[in-house]
Amino acid sequence: MLQYYDPIKSSHIVRSHDPTKDYGTPAVITETGYAPKLLSLSIDGQAITLPEGTSLMRAAAEVDVNIPRLCATDSLKAFGSCRICLVQIKGRKGFVASCTTPIEEGMVVRTQSEDIAKLRRNIMELYISDHPLDCLTCAANGDCQLQDTAGEVGLRSVRYGYSGENHLEMEKDTSHAYFTFDPSKCIVCSRCVRACEEVQGTFALTIDGRGFESKVSASQDEDFSSSECVSCGACVQACPTATLIENSIIDNGIPEHSVLTTCAYCGVGCAFNAQVRGDQVIRMVPHKNGKANRGHSCIKGRFAFGYATHKERITTPMIRNNIEEPWRQVEWNEAVEFAALKIRQIQDKYGKDSVGGITSSRCTNEETYLVQKLIRAAFGNNNVDTCARVCHSPTGYGLKTTLGESAGTQTFDSIQKADVIIVMGANPTDAHPVFASRMKKRLREGAKLIVIDPRRIDLVKSPHVKSEHHLALMPGTNVALLNALSHVIVRDGLEDKNFIDSRCEKESFLQWKRIIGENKNSPEALEEAIGVPAKNIIAAAHLYAKARNGAIYYGLGVTEHSQGSTAVMAIANLAMLTGNLGREGVGVNPLRGQNNVQGACDMGSFPHELPGYRHVSIDEVREPFEKLWGVKIRPEPGLRIPNMFDSAIEGGFKGLYCQGEDIAQSDPNTQHVEEALRSLECLIVQDIFLNETAKFAHVFLPGASFLEKDGTFTNAERRISPVRRVMSPLSGKADWQATMALSNALGFDMNYRHPSEIMEEIAKLTPTFSGVSYERLDEEGSLQWPCDSEAPYGTPTMHIDEFVRGKGFFAVTEYVATDEKIGKRFPLLLTTGRTLSQYNVGAQTRRTENLQFHTEDVLELHPYDAENRGIVGGDMVQITSRSGQISLRAKLTDRVQPSVVYTTFHHPGTGANVITTDNSDWATNCPEYKVTAVEVRKIKSNSAWQSQYEAFTKRQEFFLQEAKT
Amino acid sequence: MTDRELAHLIKMANQITINLAYGDSLEQSAGRVSDHIVRFWATPMKNKIKSYAQDGGQELHVITKAAVLRLS
Repeated sequence: MLQYYDPIKSSHIVRSHDPTKDYGTPAVITETGYAPKLLSLSIDGQAITLPEGTSLMRAAAEVDVNIPRLCATDSLKAFGSCRICLVQIKGRKGFVASCTTPIEEGMVVRTQSEDIAKLRRNIMELYISDHPLDCLTCAANGDCQLQDTAGEVGLRSVRYGYSGENHLEMEKDTSHAYFTFDPSKCIVCSRCVRACEEVQGTFALTIDGRGFESKVSASQDEDFSSSECVSCGACVQACPTATLIENSIIDNGIPEHSVLTTCAYCGVGCAFNAQVRGDQVIRMVPHKNGKANRGHSCIKGRFAFGYATHKERITTPMIRNNIEEPWRQVEWNEAVEFAALKIRQIQDKYGKDSVGGITSSRCTNEETYLVQKLIRAAFGNNNVDTCARVCHSPTGYGLKTTLGESAGTQTFDSIQKADVIIVMGANPTDAHPVFASRMKKRLREGAKLIVIDPRRIDLVKSPHVKSEHHLALMPGTNVALLNALSHVIVRDGLEDKNFIDSRCEKESFLQWKRIIGENKNSPEALEEAIGVPAKNIIAAAHLYAKARNGAIYYGLGVTEHSQGSTAVMAIANLAMLTGNLGREGVGVNPLRGQNNVQGACDMGSFPHELPGYRHVSIDEVREPFEKLWGVKIRPEPGLRIPNMFDSAIEGGFKGLYCQGEDIAQSDPNTQHVEEALRSLECLIVQDIFLNETAKFAHVFLPGASFLEKDGTFTNAERRISPVRRVMSPLSGKADWQATMALSNALGFDMNYRHPSEIMEEIAKLTPTFSGVSYERLDEEGSLQWPCDSEAPYGTPTMHIDEFVRGKGFFAVTEYVATDEKIGKRFPLLLTTGRTLSQYNVGAQTRRTENLQFHTEDVLELHPYDAENRGIVGGDMVQITSRSGQISLRAKLTDRVQPSVVYTTFHHPGTGANVITTDNSDWATNCPEYKVTAVEVRKIKSNSAWQSQYEAFTKRQEFFLQEAKT
Repeated sequence: MTDRELAHLIKMANQITINLAYGDSLEQSAGRVSDHIVRFWATPMKNKIKSYAQDGGQELHVITKAAVLRLS
């Protein structure tokens, strides 16, 4: 862990660190194992001892002397431009800026005197002589540091008058959807520019011009919306005036209270203060002490929360007998009774195993736990699965097999100690942007980067970041490449022999080594298949193997393949081979997609595992659950999502309870999924919108957004963070209450009064959660599991002295080419991904202003492939695979290599998954989204599927209208 | 074959074999494949592939077939 200076332990002044306070400059961070040099000084007569490197401003703040400042804030390095923070040091001439002056032993500092006060007033007077005096009508009124500081320094008049040359008439930039830039209020403190550089790492802002002409400029003097700005909000956060301010504040005024909660977008799990007026969220502000995000945010978490109150929210339960008839709005009771009766009738007719459910990776741990409990106890089978099936189930399998636990090994903070970073099949700047900023910061400090991706992601080259190696492999050859990397390390004797001897199983290592050493796994033998020259593979292998700390981060580009599990194991092998596990700065780090997909997996959402990743076949695992729940649990695994679909089509599976998951849009081979959904006699959908899946449903239970309930989410670093209710559930029930109602209607009683009671039950039954409770979460802010009596503060880094499974297991990872091969009929390979402004199927983000950042999904193709087909940028093109056909607009770019095409799947009408196939990972059935052989040609109209989709959607929307009238 | 579910199960089972046969004995490879199916497949899936194997299981790889026939 990071070793922050702890004043309680090392100073004679006792105080606690206040997360709400701005200390002016950042705390000094000391490398683990090194004691900081401590210096003692006196500030306004108060003695204090602090680590070397601390600024005078921060030292003063530590003794509660808060020196006025404008350009300083503790999220940014000291800059020293505003000069308001001047102080005097005994024995020295003149005045120094306290933000840029480090403490020294024996210093005697005065922060207040008549001379200092006069100087500060003079400086403030200059600022105010060129500032609009519209405080009462200003959007930042009551939340303006300039206003506060003018008050603190006692400014009473401006001797210069206001008629001189000024910036008051400068035009506002209102081009951005979420914030306004008003240069007339700018004091040119550079906080926004520095935030964009230091915190976000985009470098979109600069100070243009000199002296009086100086002004903040986005990109090359462009408006914000057309600049390189990525809308993370760091500049808005940093601005001490109303120059950069949220439009929601301009429209509504300053919020009156704040609730600390956790973002419901990606697996980074940022902590946010939901700032609220009554029950209306005015803005989301990243929490400075959030351990996952350290005060940073992205466009989604920061701004895209408006979907929660979107007009398309459905807040009343609805039922119907078949999907070709209008919906009927009913009371909760009638809806759950209707659903329960149907489920029981199906089970009577087709057997106990003919029904199942899908838990939501967007809902809380408590809600997910309840859904799997309902399925195991009330349905009486193990037919429960979650969206991790289609994303990170290979991570679960691969890491459990090799290391013994189905989760990432590190904290996000760990990246600050990494020297070589491999990013494989992940695009953090788009999909995990807040973590990407941390990574970019480390890269700017000198860490080396290896990108393994068929497409040139932004990390390959962006301002002040350049990857050492970009191994642009052909989709489907991950395992070949990983094996080649291991082969080189073994061949060249770069393995960490001590680590392997002491930490890993000898027998499995020797078997693995024998196979990996075969010539067929050499880069020379594989370079043609992989599409990367052997010398580049060798260089990358050397770079990683020789690093002091090598860390691997990976995403769905690794898992969503026919050998997804093999690739995960190959990654774990690589880390064990080089001894890169069990400390900070290293590790195997899956970047999880959805906010609570880690939690959903932890909570027993897989058909073969009870909470805590324990197999259902083990008697000792089932027994405590059976005892507490009062039912027998089946010892055999249940159906996984793709198995449910197959069985539905063949007539064996008839009823599905699907919570917060849009399988009709997100799962591969849409026409197959739709056929399966149409085969169901009872589909219960619980969601906040009438999503694509709900169009095939018989029962609609209105869901609640993350703002409407209490609970917890678990992020990609195993961090359990609280979700707190900000507004009442629009439907009257939070999701856990809806599940309880359904369970009770099914005759299996659930009577929790609050989600904390559900967590108590989870902690009782799950050893890795035994130390987790709402009280402990309130005390610590968040906890990383395993959290038990041995680790009451949680476990930031896993596998420190030994692996969870004991000795590390080298799994054999033979490369098997996918069945999805390019040929004459389908000569291109399609791969898919996400874009920054959108989240997953887009159900939430498309219902916010984020839509304007990504109005449609487009097909990226290389100019070479385009020219061969007579396609120019902007043409409508038809993409055909053996599964189906869709049409999209073409975008020509050399981000993709020739013969590879790429698209996103955020818009349902695009139907990107109409063309993905039902090929899947051999071990887990995770679909092979990332490799589809396709052909592209120019056309004029929509595909047949898209026309059918439009007609079907229109009809279902009519059925919804019928329900409302 | 009209049963698409069965067709998929056959494909899945053979895929497991390709990934778990390390070139050792049929006995060892079939053991790993069988273990995997036991741990991850639902009962109806196991029953379906087993009855297919018992009926000849023509499209099953020899290791797959041996593995499936081991299922209890």
